[in-house]
Amino acid sequence: MKNTPVTIWRRQKAQTALLGQGGTIVHWTMIRVTTSGFGKQTPYPVVYVALDTGTKMVGQLVDWENIDLQQGRKVIVVLRRLRTEDTDSVISYYTKFKPA
Amino acid sequence: MKIGVFGVGTTKFGELWNLSMEDIAKQAIDSALQDAAMKMKDIDALYVGNMLSGILFNQANLASLISGIYDVSIPAFRLEGACASGGLALHNAILGIRAGQYKKVLVLGVEKMTDHSQEEVTGGLMGAGSEDERLAGLTFPGIYALMAQAYLQDYHVSEESLAGVSVKNHYHGSFNPNAQFQKPITVADVMKSTKVADPLKLLDCSPVSDGAAAVVIGEVTNEKKLSRVPIYITASEVAVDAVNLCARESLTSLKAVVLAAKKAYTKTGLTPQDIHVAEIHDCFSIAEAIATEDLGFSKRGKGAIDICNEKFTLKKGKTITNSSGGLKSCGHPVGATGIKQIVEIVEQLQGKANARQVDGAKIGLTHNVGGSGAVAVIHVLQKYL
Repeated sequence: MKNTPVTIWRRQKAQTALLGQGGTIVHWTMIRVTTSGFGKQTPYPVVYVALDTGTKMVGQLVDWENIDLQQGRKVIVVLRRLRTEDTDSVISYYTKFKPA
Repeated sequence: MKIGVFGVGTTKFGELWNLSMEDIAKQAIDSALQDAAMKMKDIDALYVGNMLSGILFNQANLASLISGIYDVSIPAFRLEGACASGGLALHNAILGIRAGQYKKVLVLGVEKMTDHSQEEVTGGLMGAGSEDERLAGLTFPGIYALMAQAYLQDYHVSEESLAGVSVKNHYHGSFNPNAQFQKPITVADVMKSTKVADPLKLLDCSPVSDGAAAVVIGEVTNEKKLSRVPIYITASEVAVDAVNLCARESLTSLKAVVLAAKKAYTKTGLTPQDIHVAEIHDCFSIAEAIATEDLGFSKRGKGAIDICNEKFTLKKGKTITNSSGGLKSCGHPVGATGIKQIVEIVEQLQGKANARQVDGAKIGLTHNVGGSGAVAVIHVLQKYL
């Protein structure tokens, strides 16, 4: 699905509810070849996280160091700019994780 | 009702820059029709499996476009289920015959990927994932990398063992003149290949490919009237699961595959041990390791190790997997893959697979997966009923 100002606006409520939630890294990968809009960020880690609420969620890990890339690491949900090159006419922000 | 395969054909798989999507579609269809000794006017309906033509070429309405090549006005359908599009097209074609609507049906799988940049193709393939995964910056190798991390951790398997999947499939592909890569590789080659999404490396990943494959199927009413004994499709089963990895019960087993395989085994009265030859959807090395277990060929956690121990290797194993070279070595034009798997099994059961022939193959299975496990299509093919 292509992002439009409407789709970005519509997902804001759910995004806001996630901010500040804690979780634990279950699995991680380092993305080295990617899709349009993420190219300038490579290599970047994506983590599969078990939130403290029990929900599973995937997201980019930001502000990380090598030691953070392991199972059991505590993270929290933060809001960050989504892509480096944004063509969606509004700058989109999205939930990512940072080490707690 | 007995459903038989009357003819099969494929193009070469690879970087076919001098050919368009219509060109390769026509090549595969002509080849299948010739094999069946039929003409397009003998065909009652066309089913096309394709994933990316809408995304990459802005070409919807693909089925009519392809029937238009032949100037026939038969019903034509395009089926889409990511990389399982081909399998879904065949399943629906079988339903059309079973419903009594059509007698002879042509099923085509086609994909043209190498006309586009790596970013466009990687992005297009993420159409098979969920919005949450796309916005998390995940790629398809990335999603399977998370599954690989889970598998390696849970079962204490090494990356070298996983590499054994690609080594086997390249070995098989070295005997397939239509394969994209016909060169054997070693575990060391896989280990030193460039990283794509840790722990998956380039040689853990199937390539971006162009290719098409076609089959002519129909109801068999009187076997004696046919010029040769057809190969029968004795099971065609589909199951689905959550598109989003985070909504799945397990990262190390695909529920859709387990469910579809169970239905296929039940309907045919077969067990995994009865299968002589199977085409497995090895979009990534980890995918084949997991599939080998989900299909019942290996115990949980033993898939990669069994593959390394040559339990599924030509001339060595009892059930041979991916004699074509699989997606890894033969190539993975996504919408074509599910039909190419059928073509390979038919050739194996007819004893026409030349250097890669599995001796005495009478029962074959195909395993076609869409997304990271959202769709699974299992077909069972048999030489005799």
